[in-house]
Amino acid sequence: MPTISIFKADLESLLDSEQKRRAISIEDLENWLLLVKGELKSHNPDTGELRVELQDSNRPDLWCCEGIARQIRIKRKGKLKPYPFLAKKAQAPLRLTVAQGMEQVRPYVAACAARGYRVTEDGLAQLIQTQEKLADIFGHKRKTVSIGLYQLQKIQFPVTYELVKPDDARFTPLGMETVMTLSEILMIHPKGLEHGYILAGQSRLPILRDAGNQPLSFPPIINSREIGEVRVGDNELFVEVTGTDLSMVVLTLNIFAVNLADRGATIEPVEVQYPKGTALGKRVVTPQDLGKSRAIKIETIRGALGQELSEKTVKQALETYGYDVSVEKGTVKAKLPLYRQDLLHAMDVVEDVAMSCGYGTFAPEMPVQFTVGGLSRIEQISDRARELMVGLGFQEIISNILGSPEQYRDAMCLAETEWGSMVEVDNVMSLSFSCLRQWMVPSLLRVEAASNRAFYPHRLFEAGEVAIPDPTHELGSRTEIVLGAMIAHATAHFSEIHSCLEVLLYHAGKEYSLEPVQHPSFLDGRAGRILVAERPVGVIGEVHPEVLERWQIAVPVVAFDMNLSQLSDLLTAPP
Amino acid sequence: MDKSALIDGLHPLEIKALTAFGSGGSILSTEQLVAATGLESSQLSMAVEWLLAKQLLLVTSETVAPLVSLTPLGETYFERYAPVEHILSIARDASSTGKRLTISDLYAKEGLDPVDVSKAVGRLKKEGVLLIVQGGCLESTGRPSPSAEAMRTLLRELHEGPREVGGFPEAFRQLIQEHAVRRGSTREPFRVEDRVVRSYGLSPDGVAVAGQLAAQPTLEEVSQLSPELLKDRSWRTKRFRKYTISLRAPRIGTGKKHPYREFLDAVKAKLVSMGFQEMRGSLVETEFWNMDALFMPQFHPARDIHDVYFVKQPTHAARVAEPFLSRVTIAHQNGGSTGSTGWGYTFNRERAKRLVLRSQGTAVSSRTLAANPSVPGKYFSIARCFRYDQVDATHATDFFQVEGIVLSENINFRTLLGLLNLFAREVAHAKEVKFVPAYFPFTEPSVELHVRHPKLGWMELGGAGLFRPEVTLPLGVTAPVIAWGLGLDRMAMIALGIHDIRELFTDNLELIRTTRGVF
Repeated sequence: MPTISIFKADLESLLDSEQKRRAISIEDLENWLLLVKGELKSHNPDTGELRVELQDSNRPDLWCCEGIARQIRIKRKGKLKPYPFLAKKAQAPLRLTVAQGMEQVRPYVAACAARGYRVTEDGLAQLIQTQEKLADIFGHKRKTVSIGLYQLQKIQFPVTYELVKPDDARFTPLGMETVMTLSEILMIHPKGLEHGYILAGQSRLPILRDAGNQPLSFPPIINSREIGEVRVGDNELFVEVTGTDLSMVVLTLNIFAVNLADRGATIEPVEVQYPKGTALGKRVVTPQDLGKSRAIKIETIRGALGQELSEKTVKQALETYGYDVSVEKGTVKAKLPLYRQDLLHAMDVVEDVAMSCGYGTFAPEMPVQFTVGGLSRIEQISDRARELMVGLGFQEIISNILGSPEQYRDAMCLAETEWGSMVEVDNVMSLSFSCLRQWMVPSLLRVEAASNRAFYPHRLFEAGEVAIPDPTHELGSRTEIVLGAMIAHATAHFSEIHSCLEVLLYHAGKEYSLEPVQHPSFLDGRAGRILVAERPVGVIGEVHPEVLERWQIAVPVVAFDMNLSQLSDLLTAPP
Repeated sequence: MDKSALIDGLHPLEIKALTAFGSGGSILSTEQLVAATGLESSQLSMAVEWLLAKQLLLVTSETVAPLVSLTPLGETYFERYAPVEHILSIARDASSTGKRLTISDLYAKEGLDPVDVSKAVGRLKKEGVLLIVQGGCLESTGRPSPSAEAMRTLLRELHEGPREVGGFPEAFRQLIQEHAVRRGSTREPFRVEDRVVRSYGLSPDGVAVAGQLAAQPTLEEVSQLSPELLKDRSWRTKRFRKYTISLRAPRIGTGKKHPYREFLDAVKAKLVSMGFQEMRGSLVETEFWNMDALFMPQFHPARDIHDVYFVKQPTHAARVAEPFLSRVTIAHQNGGSTGSTGWGYTFNRERAKRLVLRSQGTAVSSRTLAANPSVPGKYFSIARCFRYDQVDATHATDFFQVEGIVLSENINFRTLLGLLNLFAREVAHAKEVKFVPAYFPFTEPSVELHVRHPKLGWMELGGAGLFRPEVTLPLGVTAPVIAWGLGLDRMAMIALGIHDIRELFTDNLELIRTTRGVF
């Protein structure tokens, strides 16, 4: 999903200790990226910048240099080294208090401190990028998760997460020079304008303040400029994550904690005290490992992968992918590391085994089951009709189905008529792509209007799908296949196109008749409804000069539009 | 030597010219040929040119003869009078009425050019037609002027057309000489130019051809065979002129399939040949079949308002079929009996009914899974899909997806790779493949197929995976299911030689007519 920017030297420094550091070739890197479903999009040899696209939308831990390096490092070293901050459980000297009423607005918060890592330029770039990508994509544009980073030494603990009236709190936000109230931030600050909708309708707004009543930030909008601006050279950081989903909030904080720990910081957990119990209790120490181990039969893994894998191989594959693993009596117990929460089903473990082993270690095997192939009836009918049209000297065209009401309805003089109703798009991006065609003639005229320099006569057809509004259908419309054909030249005449229709219906084996119809797209008295077994299956006629004028077509046009789906219902199935 | 091929190719004009020479040796000038053939001189000169080119005719003599014609001034003299006639008439007038006439009167009153006057007066005096008497007065003697008469004759004859100078008597020739346009004297009635006069005779080949023409019955030549000629069998007595078949043919309109459709037809045929059954779906779908049934959580980033087109009216489907709606709801919330933990959120059943424009071909597969598919079974669809994308050279908002499923009790990750190998070989004609880990919300494990195309090098051909049990079980399918999709647009574009995805659906008829399909 996200494409991120990382620096090669930074990645190398995260892969090995300083003494053992070595340059990694681009080819090797591309191979390693298979482990993280990453694709190298570009590489700038001058700056060392790499653009990497990460595919897995359930692995936000991989959307940063630290995460990519971690997955590769574990594979090389054979196992994930336990993070020390998880060991000394419950001992958290730093506290964060959640006030009453937060559950109505933005209930959850998680935080930690990081000391002893001096922020480098590359490190800061990654911190900011991770913050943006996680809040934007994983956190749904900050709605479910947003992140703040601060200078730890400026904060007096405990920190309070509470609600205030919009005009009762003020601070200088990042990117501004002056003190502003929260309501001013929502009205004026670019981030307020961008994300303010998340808090729409709230009479009181969330704020994080320290023991000295100093604002840290206005989540999920903006940090204070005084405390919430991290710079290169800082070596004491405070990280908080707020949001609406507790496990996502904790996971996001865990990712920041391991990222900073991987860069050499000592992580100090924070104890978050809620007024009422949460799914994790009233007092929640973060970071926290929420993973539970899951039992999977080795046989399930073997069956899904089609390979005789030994218990040892499975254990090793999962360990070198970061899992905590034990194997007993044909069952593997696997637990994800604290920075992942994407184990929904045993099949997720199966894929990780395959990726850890490498897809190249699985020999492809041909499926052997015999099945009969074939085309749908309507596709066969459509193909027969296309063959006949080609035989009649028509050039096939192919058009967008998504188009504009201007072309499908208005230019055809069909506004406010029974012929003009269409499936229209609600969230229109461009009027040119805002409705589905309900018949084929406009698609043909589109080509005619653009082709007055192509030598005449023009004989065009298209067989394709249209959407016909139908209130009785469960989807509000029917998708049907329509055949449209058109002839244009200086003396184009009704009988020319009529002859073609006659040939088609003769070969379809159906008697038909034409019944005069007043259709605004055609000249009155020169248009007919095509009836087969007394059911209407289309229209034929000389296109009205008013329509031609609207399309700026300067030659006469005759055309028909026949619904093959409806015709198909009337045809007997082949023996 | 047989000249029949040569004779068959002769134009009627050529035959006329050739036969004018009779059986052999006569030599004819252009004028004689015009007379003998009765052709217009322009037609004759075409025929002569062709015959010379075919070396049936030779130029026997070529002479240069001076030719005299009237200048525009000469035409004016013809209409009115030449200066000599004018002066003569004034002088006769004056003498008969007894008026005094001087040379300067001729300049002043009659507006004559002094050069013309002195030339004419000099000649008339020499001929004894005029006298110059005392006081410079002109007097007519009443005698006729041969030069004025000769001038009138010349003007009259040359008005009919140019003539050879040599055809006139000496006196006339002198007059022409005096009054011909030359350097320093451009205001003259006559122009003398050299003209080439040719005579022609038959070459030895020409004699043979003319002989053969004379010997064979004179067949009437026709340009077109007609039903009448066939009916009365008279074609036997006609000669059919041969055509110059090396000329380019005139252009005609073609009835043919669209090259992109042809490409897709070939893919369709290939899939059917591998045992796949076609499935079809609807352009408008519910979010349920488009996404929920594929285990894409309702909060998934790709389900945003900025990724999918929503339908304006009606906004929601009347219903979503049970038991699928309930089973999928549970699968999303806590996994139910699928063995999954689910996504752990409250599933919105109303949202499931929201109508959208189909955004992925997999929607067709999810419908098929819920409709009692065969096991083992193979299905495919070539489905039009719509994405909320800005349209540019590589992104279309309206495009085809080639997708499908394979159901069988005996399939696994390795058979999935085997199927992809088959696609690589059969669809892309690739011998080398690479399997790359991939992510799709509805499959696990997931894989991307990269192939080394014989012309294009490494390219992504498609994606595939085993459907998650959260997808198959709620839809009533217990067998494992492979889901696959092929990205063929790029291959089609390169096969058709186009660089902009929008050109696949171009409105340029000339381009559609001239783009070659893939053979």
